Amino acid sequence: MTRVPPITNRVRALREAHGDMSQAALGEAIGVTRHTIIAIEQGRYSPSLESAFRIARVFGIGVEDVFGWNPDGNA
Amino acid sequence: MSFREKSAWAMALVTGIAGLWYLNKLIVLAAGADATPAPLGLLLRYVIIIVIASVVAQVTLAVMAPGEAEVPADERERRVLARAGAQAGDVLAFGLLVSMGWFLFERDGNLLFHMAFFSLIMAQIVDYLLQAVRLRRGE
Repeated sequence: MTRVPPITNRVRALREAHGDMSQAALGEAIGVTRHTIIAIEQGRYSPSLESAFRIARVFGIGVEDVFGWNPDGNA
Repeated sequence: MSFREKSAWAMALVTGIAGLWYLNKLIVLAAGADATPAPLGLLLRYVIIIVIASVVAQVTLAVMAPGEAEVPADERERRVLARAGAQAGDVLAFGLLVSMGWFLFERDGNLLFHMAFFSLIMAQIVDYLLQAVRLRRGE
């Protein structure tokens, strides 16, 4: 069974709100591959703190506006 | 499918086929003699096959996706590679422990060599397979 991280995110919604930015473009902006952005959006991978800050900076908002905590997730 | 995932599947296939070939040759050799010394020629052929097949596989994948091949592993991929390597290390340690335990009872140095070498091959296959599966699952 795949473990679902308890960290939620709005990366996909933010990407679409920012001129439909592509996953590849966001990945390039923060230094990860497109596949890692896909994994983050699908909640299968929780990024490092550094990448979380980088994502937030790309959208010009705070980390807590991008990521949240789901207490029902698999901690 | 990412370049690194394709690379892991390709290497799992290469090491798996080469490992089966090595095992088959070893069984044939063992069937013809009571004590099978470590065959240097067979080992060298195995290494040459692995090196050539790996280079061909990696170059082919790199030509198919030149941009991706040059990009270093990112944080998720590095974590997948590290975890797979650690678990492959466990497989190797288990194989070596079994090999050494066997040697304590059988006192057969040739068998010890072959079991240890096969443990190395198995650990490499497990390493690539775990990389490929985890990259596929997006962990």
